[in-house]
Amino acid sequence: MKGVVFNLLEEAVVREFGPDVWDDLLLRADLSGAYTSLGNYDDEEILALVEAASAALNLPRAEVLRWFGRRAMPILKERYGAFFERHASSKSFVLSVNSIIHPEVRKLYAGASCPFFHFREDAAGAVSMDYDSSRRMCDLAHGFVEGAADLFEETVDVSHAACMNHGDAKCVMEIRWAR
Amino acid sequence: MGALNERKAPAPPEDTVAELNLRLLKLEHRFQRERAARLHAEAIAEKGLRDLYERQQQLVLLETIATVANQSRSVEETLRVAVRAVCDHTGWSYGNAYRLATAGPPRLTPADVWHAADPDRLAPFIALNQQAEFVAGQGLPGRVLGSGRAAWIADVAEDDNFPRADAARACGLHAAFAFPVLVGHDVLGVLEFFHREPVSPDEQLLGVVGQIGTQLGRVVERRRAEDKLMHDASHDPLTGLPNRLLFVDRLERAVAAHRRRSELGFAVLFIDLDRFKLVNDSMGHAAGDDLLVQIAGRFGRVVSEARGADAAPLVATLARLGGDEFTVLLEDVGGEAAAIELAEALQETLRRPFQIEGQDIFTSASFGVASCAAGYAGADEIMRDADLAMYRAKAEGRARIEVFDQSLLADAKRRLATETDLRNAVRNKEFILHYQPIFALDGERLVGFEALIRWRRADGEIAPPSDFIGIAEETGLIVFIGQWVMQEAFATLAAWRSAYPEAGPVTMSVNVSPRQFHQPDFVGQVMAAVRSSGVDPSAVRLEITESVTIQDARRTKSILDELRAQGVRVSIDDFGTGYSSLSYLQQLSFDTLKIDRSFVTALKGAGGEEIVRTILDLARSLEMDVVAEGAETAAHVEQLREMGCGFAQGYFFARPLEREAAAALLAAASTPDPGAD
Repeated sequence: MKGVVFNLLEEAVVREFGPDVWDDLLLRADLSGAYTSLGNYDDEEILALVEAASAALNLPRAEVLRWFGRRAMPILKERYGAFFERHASSKSFVLSVNSIIHPEVRKLYAGASCPFFHFREDAAGAVSMDYDSSRRMCDLAHGFVEGAADLFEETVDVSHAACMNHGDAKCVMEIRWAR
Repeated sequence: MGALNERKAPAPPEDTVAELNLRLLKLEHRFQRERAARLHAEAIAEKGLRDLYERQQQLVLLETIATVANQSRSVEETLRVAVRAVCDHTGWSYGNAYRLATAGPPRLTPADVWHAADPDRLAPFIALNQQAEFVAGQGLPGRVLGSGRAAWIADVAEDDNFPRADAARACGLHAAFAFPVLVGHDVLGVLEFFHREPVSPDEQLLGVVGQIGTQLGRVVERRRAEDKLMHDASHDPLTGLPNRLLFVDRLERAVAAHRRRSELGFAVLFIDLDRFKLVNDSMGHAAGDDLLVQIAGRFGRVVSEARGADAAPLVATLARLGGDEFTVLLEDVGGEAAAIELAEALQETLRRPFQIEGQDIFTSASFGVASCAAGYAGADEIMRDADLAMYRAKAEGRARIEVFDQSLLADAKRRLATETDLRNAVRNKEFILHYQPIFALDGERLVGFEALIRWRRADGEIAPPSDFIGIAEETGLIVFIGQWVMQEAFATLAAWRSAYPEAGPVTMSVNVSPRQFHQPDFVGQVMAAVRSSGVDPSAVRLEITESVTIQDARRTKSILDELRAQGVRVSIDDFGTGYSSLSYLQQLSFDTLKIDRSFVTALKGAGGEEIVRTILDLARSLEMDVVAEGAETAAHVEQLREMGCGFAQGYFFARPLEREAAAALLAAASTPDPGAD
């Protein structure tokens, strides 16, 4: 997992709960916590932090990831505003993840293993998003979509039609934007 | 500074809550500073990494294009690779190339080179661009053509100089950029690219594609240089027509095509201008070149306007082989009819005079035609045959069209073989002389001999002069042969005079060919032969035909006068068969006139006697001796004597005799008779 994700998580936690809570999470997860955005860290570490947050907040792991994704969006916008500027809607932004955002990620981290999202748009404008990753972090993606909708001041509904966490071969999320 | 102050601050004497709070606050500030510094450092590093990555990708792109630009010989292939590589590099949806039109007003036309990741979605826009043309300043490609610089449109929907905006928007395309294929300052083509989203100008990318444009320009330039080399190597620089190399190449292909499919006929036209040398010699080479260029122009128009039997344009290649020789290859024609028709049209176009240096110059040409009907195996054969036919046209009086047939080839082969044999004959001294006696008709005394050449060929056959004198004259071998004849005949006469002194003063006549007569030192050659034999010059008779005398009367007269001044006598041979006018005969001082055998043979017929009598009267009034040739019967001799003809030769007296037989005749006549000659 890229260091930037740890940075985002730290930022989100500190903004909402203060720096002590982040320190507590690091202690609980038994992690050093020295993360730079340019570094690459063991996937286990982010899972441990999510577990720690889940325990501390008494929330399911999925909820924690969703919360994180949603809160990370404004921070991402602060850091990488250019990715947001060219879009008029959160849908357009979400659809650009494969073609623009992930290629940008690869520019910084040679060989980064970004997930690939298959998008299908139906006539009504709803988007079906396939997610297939050994990290099984569909909920983080879910949160990112909600966070994007927040940024564009839109309302979105995300439902998991299929989920690897429930034994499916891949995750399929149905995304509907309110008119 | 803040950090230094903190370090210098004295440690608190005792831990109070306030002091601890203060310390905590400072630590938090320190933490915030460190954090901000880390974020800043990360941002710098990220930018560096991103730039490095992009730079590397750009280098890969440039390298990809440089590689194909260096290796490929095809402009189109290089463009294709470049369009594809730029699309791959940028992730843009569609790239398209235009080239500068080679004809018509300067504008960009589709190069038929494009790439799209998803062509189905863009089909209407792609189809539109396959038809699009842009003049300088018009639309995105036109802007690049006009400025010679790359251009970027963030969103074509909002650009006021993008005529294709509706079609682009319909296909979901927004950002666009384009760059020129440059050679020096010349735009030879433009490549344009489109993206699904609006994108603000990327100066770095424009810099990279600018370099690509220069690379592509080098490929175009190299290709142009190669094309020019190829063109120069295969075309005549004076007229711009295909040269021999290209003509033969096309002919070879026509021959091969005909062999594969016999219905694909072809014909070849050989054209040689008549008396072109005259223009070159009298007006100079610049005038000659001017004439050739004008002729090439007229021929070119005729050939391009020529139509076949089905009114379709003929597939024709007009070429200049060199000098004043032109050729035409007609492909996909039935036979020689189309070639003859074309030759007639070409001949017709020469009828109007050419304006050369303010003068009207008239010219004509001789045409030789050969067609695939003869079943040729190669270009060299058909060119040889068309050439032979053309030579026949020239020989038959110029400004003619001759079609090759096999007899021409047989003739040519025979002539060539004879020429070779003749050269060997000169070297191997295969010639002999026969001697035909000449008699005075009063008393039938032997007064001289005419030396007649024979060729004793390697197989023992004796060939008469008619078999080889023509070729000897043409090839110039006659000069050597004629000299040998004089030496041999005069030496023989000298030998006979010493062997048979009682036979009286006999003369020796030798025939002189036109070419021999016009040798610059002809008189010197004659006198050398006379002197080395030791005979009296007055015993020598040089027989000259009328055709010799009409070529250059003044020069002929001076040679004749010179010969006579040296004591040598000259006869006009075959009198009555040429075109010589009486005035010539009067001007040129001949000693003897020889009546052609045809008049003697015709003595019995209607008017035969009158003609001979007229000739005799003429000779008498010009004070010339007369020798009648072809006296075959006693009646001939009797009649000639009655009419007052002084001398005769012919079968009645003797056939041409070998040297020994002639000597025997002399021996028999060895009774002193001082009144001879």
